[in-house]
Amino acid sequence: MSVFDGLKFRKVSSPIHNLDPRIKFIYVIAIFISAILFSQILPLAILFLMQLPFVFLAGVQKQWVKSLRGAAFLATFIFVINIVTKFFYNNWTIQFSDIEIALSMTMRFVVLVESFSVFFLTTSPDYLGLALEQSRMPYEFAFAFTTAVRFVPVLAEEAQTIMDAQKARGLELEKGNLLKRIRNYIPILVPLIVSAIRRSLELAEAMESRAWGAVKKRTNLYLLKLHKGDYILISITAIILITTLYLRFFVTIPSITYYINLISNFFS
Amino acid sequence: MAIINISNLVYTYPGASKPSIDGLSLTVEKGEFVLITGPSGCGKTSLCRTFNGLIPHFYHGELSGQIIVAEQDIISKQTFDMAKHVGLVFQNPENQLFALSVEKDVAFGLENLGMNREEMRKRVDWALNLADIYNLRERSPHEVSGGQQQRVAIAAVLAMQPEIIVLDEPTSFLDPLSAERIFEVIYKLNQEQGITVILVEHRLDLTAKYANHLVVMDKGKICFEGNPRNLLCNEEISHIGVGIPKATLLYKKLKTAGFNVNQQTPLSSDELADQLLKALKT
Ligand SMILES: Nc1ncnc2c1ncn2[C@@H]1O[C@H](COP(=O)(O)OP(=O)(O)OP(=O)(O)O)[C@@H](O)[C@H]1O
Ligand SMILES: [Mg+2]
Repeated sequence: MSVFDGLKFRKVSSPIHNLDPRIKFIYVIAIFISAILFSQILPLAILFLMQLPFVFLAGVQKQWVKSLRGAAFLATFIFVINIVTKFFYNNWTIQFSDIEIALSMTMRFVVLVESFSVFFLTTSPDYLGLALEQSRMPYEFAFAFTTAVRFVPVLAEEAQTIMDAQKARGLELEKGNLLKRIRNYIPILVPLIVSAIRRSLELAEAMESRAWGAVKKRTNLYLLKLHKGDYILISITAIILITTLYLRFFVTIPSITYYINLISNFFS
Repeated sequence: MAIINISNLVYTYPGASKPSIDGLSLTVEKGEFVLITGPSGCGKTSLCRTFNGLIPHFYHGELSGQIIVAEQDIISKQTFDMAKHVGLVFQNPENQLFALSVEKDVAFGLENLGMNREEMRKRVDWALNLADIYNLRERSPHEVSGGQQQRVAIAAVLAMQPEIIVLDEPTSFLDPLSAERIFEVIYKLNQEQGITVILVEHRLDLTAKYANHLVVMDKGKICFEGNPRNLLCNEEISHIGVGIPKATLLYKKLKTAGFNVNQQTPLSSDELADQLLKALKT
């Protein structure tokens, strides 16, 4: 069952986990916008480093490294594509500034991945569901989200059981060519889908029995309230946005190439 | 005062060729503990679905006859209106919990009713305590056992403070010990809160002792009805596949063999043991 343990959520408590998901989301969007606005390596590197306190305060270093490793392939791809296109474009020559631009593009991608992974790594689904419930979104969306979180591990476990049962009856999953292999999964998918439909009917029945749809405006057992940490995060977000806009439009940000040229000029 | 009054109910599921409930009449008094039993496919679950209007509002199909529950005509009421009067607990605990924490699940019905937060908090805590799961309130549903999940489902309907609580084989997914605990909780609700209980159950061994109204169904009809002590002595009842408690069977055998246990029919081994001890001492 270890494969599916990752799907089960657990309540984790840390200063970051306890932040209001809505505010955290706004923060992520601010980082996102900043990353899009800057194209120089320096500010992007700073944006990258700014997430680190977040990661450590939340204690999710391991998962964070894992998600970065997951993004490494795409990041390399972006870097190589950038270099190669420049290489062709400039008649088979490459300059240091080209490498810097390629690096910046890659860094931008990494920052985007990083900020979203920090959001999802530090937000427990029940809290996120609550935030969805208390946003202006129709309640059905929030309900769909929480039930999905609730039933994904259940269905995964069931898939495992069916797989074991079919294997015990002689089904060989890892045999034959690709098409055959895909076909091998039919005896697993069919019972899984049938059971999922049965489940959803029972679920609907239980919901009806518990007054689903009785009043237009539902109430909520919990009230999401902003705490000190949330206000701090709002301020940080505002500062990031203002600084970004200021730097982007009123300051020319020096590139590394500029410094290298400066230094080499100095010595020559 | 009758809290449930069903007369001449005939119901056919959409697309089915013959009715699943076929001319059934039933009266349940307020505060009764009703035990419904009968062979598989005899229409027990279908009957439960009529108590809060899932049949016909959710299942559609063809229905004739009259169903009055808690002074409401279910045919003219929506299922969500009935939720305040009748709570349904289903067989599979897993498929009736949808929130990510126990207490949120218990609050689900109250949220749907639009209750304000302070009142809701009180009700949720009250229901959690009654079902004896207050300490589990912050767990997520997959962190609690099947028996505990079923108690969450019970607390969830209790929170709405219904007059009637209907449980359709609530323990068939559970081991005998967890089942016993569930029955104890239900019995307590019946005795202390005065809630009318309707329990569908095959295992009369575990449940007959709680009931004061036994209903035996077969082929969409009620074929026997009455006090379990009188009814379970009845010879004919064993012909339709009802699991008569072992203690009752033994009692009958002793009686036909001429052994003098001249008291009321026992419904559990404890009761029989008491009677035997008394008989042996005299
Ligand atoms: N959703 C449905 N659609 C069509 N027919 C149904 C449906 N549910 C039950 N039936 C039919 O109605 C009849 C009575 O079924 P019901 O589930 O009420 O029996 P039951 O007494 O609860 O059986 P069990 O002890 O197995 O739970 C059966 O013949 C069944 O096939
Ligand atoms: Mg049934």
